[in-house]
Amino acid sequence: MAPTSSFTPEIYYMETLVQSIVSGVLTGSLYAMIGVGLTIVFGVMRIINMAHGDMVMLGMYGAFWSHVAWKMDPFLSIILWVPAGFVGGVVVFRFLLRKIVPGGELNTLLYTAGLSLFVANLALLVWTGDYRTIKLPYAIMPLRPLGISVPIPLAIAFAMAILLTAGLFWFLVHTDTGRAIRATSQEPEAAALMGISVGRISMITFGLGTALACGAGVLLAPSLYLYPTVGEILVAKCFVIVVLGGLGSVPGAIAGGLLLGLAESLGAVYVSVPYKDAIGFVLFLLVLLFRPAGLFGEGKS
Amino acid sequence: MKLILVAVALAALVAAPWIVTDPFYVHLMIMVLMWTVLGASWNVVGGFAGQVSFGHSAFLGTGAYTTMILYLNMGIAPWYGIVLGGLVAAVIALPIGLICFRLRGPYFALSTLAVAEIIRLVALNWESLTNGPVGLLITTLPPVTLAGTALDWESKTPFYYIIAVLAVGALVATSLLARSRLGAYLLAVRDDIDSAEAIGINTVQVRVLALALSAFLAGVGGGFYAMYLRYIDPDAVFSIPLSVEMVFIPVVGGLTTVMGPFIGAVFLVSLGETFRTHFLTGHLIFYGLFMMVAIRYMPEGIWGRLRLMVANRWGVRNA
Amino acid sequence: MLELKGLTKSFGGLRAVTDLSFTVEKGAIVGLIGPNGSGKTTVFNLVAGFLPPSAGQVLLEGKNLVGLKPYAITRKGVARTFQTVKPFRQLSVMENVTLAAFLRFPMRRHAEAEASRILEKVGLKGKIKLPANDLTLVDQKRLEIARALATGPKLLLLDEPMGGLNATEVDLAAHLINDICADGVTIIWVEHVLRAIMNTSHRVIVINYGAKVADGTPREVVENPDVIAAYLGKRAKPHAAD
Repeated sequence: MAPTSSFTPEIYYMETLVQSIVSGVLTGSLYAMIGVGLTIVFGVMRIINMAHGDMVMLGMYGAFWSHVAWKMDPFLSIILWVPAGFVGGVVVFRFLLRKIVPGGELNTLLYTAGLSLFVANLALLVWTGDYRTIKLPYAIMPLRPLGISVPIPLAIAFAMAILLTAGLFWFLVHTDTGRAIRATSQEPEAAALMGISVGRISMITFGLGTALACGAGVLLAPSLYLYPTVGEILVAKCFVIVVLGGLGSVPGAIAGGLLLGLAESLGAVYVSVPYKDAIGFVLFLLVLLFRPAGLFGEGKS
Repeated sequence: MKLILVAVALAALVAAPWIVTDPFYVHLMIMVLMWTVLGASWNVVGGFAGQVSFGHSAFLGTGAYTTMILYLNMGIAPWYGIVLGGLVAAVIALPIGLICFRLRGPYFALSTLAVAEIIRLVALNWESLTNGPVGLLITTLPPVTLAGTALDWESKTPFYYIIAVLAVGALVATSLLARSRLGAYLLAVRDDIDSAEAIGINTVQVRVLALALSAFLAGVGGGFYAMYLRYIDPDAVFSIPLSVEMVFIPVVGGLTTVMGPFIGAVFLVSLGETFRTHFLTGHLIFYGLFMMVAIRYMPEGIWGRLRLMVANRWGVRNA
Repeated sequence: MLELKGLTKSFGGLRAVTDLSFTVEKGAIVGLIGPNGSGKTTVFNLVAGFLPPSAGQVLLEGKNLVGLKPYAITRKGVARTFQTVKPFRQLSVMENVTLAAFLRFPMRRHAEAEASRILEKVGLKGKIKLPANDLTLVDQKRLEIARALATGPKLLLLDEPMGGLNATEVDLAAHLINDICADGVTIIWVEHVLRAIMNTSHRVIVINYGAKVADGTPREVVENPDVIAAYLGKRAKPHAAD
């Protein structure tokens, strides 16, 4: 046991700094995953999906209900809910969005805003607004590597988020479909001329985006309070991420997510807790005004 | 012909609280009229100018807080406060417009969302001004005597007439705008900004003006909200859901039309409020549903579609 | 009327316009020609304020226009059309032109009267109630010109008004341009239909790679060896797609 007199202020500040960086990176990884889902959809179809946050919410509730009803560990249930999210996304695109997209970006924005309101309120009706939590018996005590407190669910979520995002990255780079997605995102006309079915790619991309969102929701479920309108604030933060990284850029979204996580975490400690949410938005406005292509991107992946 | 319809409508408006006495329905009418004002406000900037804003609750909230603070701290009666609230909202619209109008389309929409959130967080934390999350409460409204009788603030009737006047005012203002040069310029900006610049329109000035007018109406609506509900807090009044409702009502009702916001309010608010009394929550489900149906099948809105149908029947070709 | 002095525009490393200088006298019709990609539309964008120049001046009756926003330049009396027509598609033909007329006639009555007059002049009188989007290309080009005229310009910049027109339509358009000049408007126009521009312009300026190659009467320019080289030289290069 070290005597308290050797606990110098410098070490304390250092520890706090490292702690908030770690927390920031952990949450940031999940923001990144959500952001990537949003950005690929925008990159390929120019759709700003206001309902993206609600898809995260559905993932969260999916994990909750499969935990309550079938005693499934939420992290395992990702095997169920990510594919379900993909299918759901494909269905939503094929039957709802496909006819709307030709009407222009703003119409699509309004439509997805309507979808968001519909889904969130349906969830409110069916599941009530009571806060839910998932209690995991193995997650009561946080890990303490090197004295830094790391909640177990967040650590697992972080690891899986990295896996899933890396998986998507690999998919985009090494598979034909993935390359087709990137091509369509950069040059839709050229891609069409090369024989890529833009309609099919759009559908798959939207499915992937939704799958990522649901997956992030599942991963977040053990760490957050669940309520049906959580999508609202999430989608606002998502846009901050995606704009920071450059709309359409996957690496940008990852960087943006981590950046936001860090900014919020550091902001909470060093600026003030209440204003920490504002930091993201101020950053957002500054980027929109001075570097609209994003901090990293040309705006394309 | 049109004049007769207007006269009949106004007569109905005036007579309504005497015919319908059930307090729930009077409350419903008040809500419909209040949302007409708020919808008309968004219609100016989102409809006529074609700039979709998702942050209009910033102006609503500013109006509400101005009215409250002026009354509670300085004793200025809410009816003056409402107008002052509108003016303060119009003033903050100027820097907001200058910042956000540098962006176009969806980027503009997102920036307004960010601005509104920032304002909400400021209101939440600036406790000396706004009382923070605790909010502000009106316990008694100033006594007013009209034609010998004291107004009964416990009944809904005085509130009904106040909002009725404001709603008619908002619609008249919209109508005047539609006929004016500014209104025409807004439609040009909505259609093609570069072409608008090319014919001598200062598009930044014109959009900022529209935003200021829109903010004034929203601020007035917010002031009434404060006066009627008597309690406000930052999360209620600077919220994203309110901003979103302000968008949905005129879009569903019919953008760039004068009556659109009213029609939208009639549909959405009636359904929502009725639903809310039975189910307590989730009433916005209709807003979402109607918006999706409108964008898919009737982008010109309910009123817009009705007008088209009437015009086609009478053989008038509309532009 | 208009003088360009040393006008230069670079995009990153690419020089779109290089040290361009010429004058346009009041009441003249001046044609601006050059091979594809020679920077003609960029010159228009620079003069009309849609792009800021990297260097140089644009003097309208002695006053420098550089730095002014497009709407301010229009208010000073310079109107332009766009190469790809940009009408207000959801508005009627009449409303399109009335909007432009509002600049000088704030009252709707008067603006509409002026719009009527101009629409008659360009030959769109029978179609004023149609939505602009429903017009044929020729009529949309007429509308574009009508809208520019309604702002009451001293100088009119026409960007390829004859693109996509057949021979009869070209002749009608040339006629209209002469009419506009007769009304006292100075005209600079960019065009690829060489027959028309050579027949109608008082003077022609040829540019290539953003720099002036020739400046004189149509006759002089046609016989200028540099001009011939500019066009032939371009054509001699192998094209990936034509």
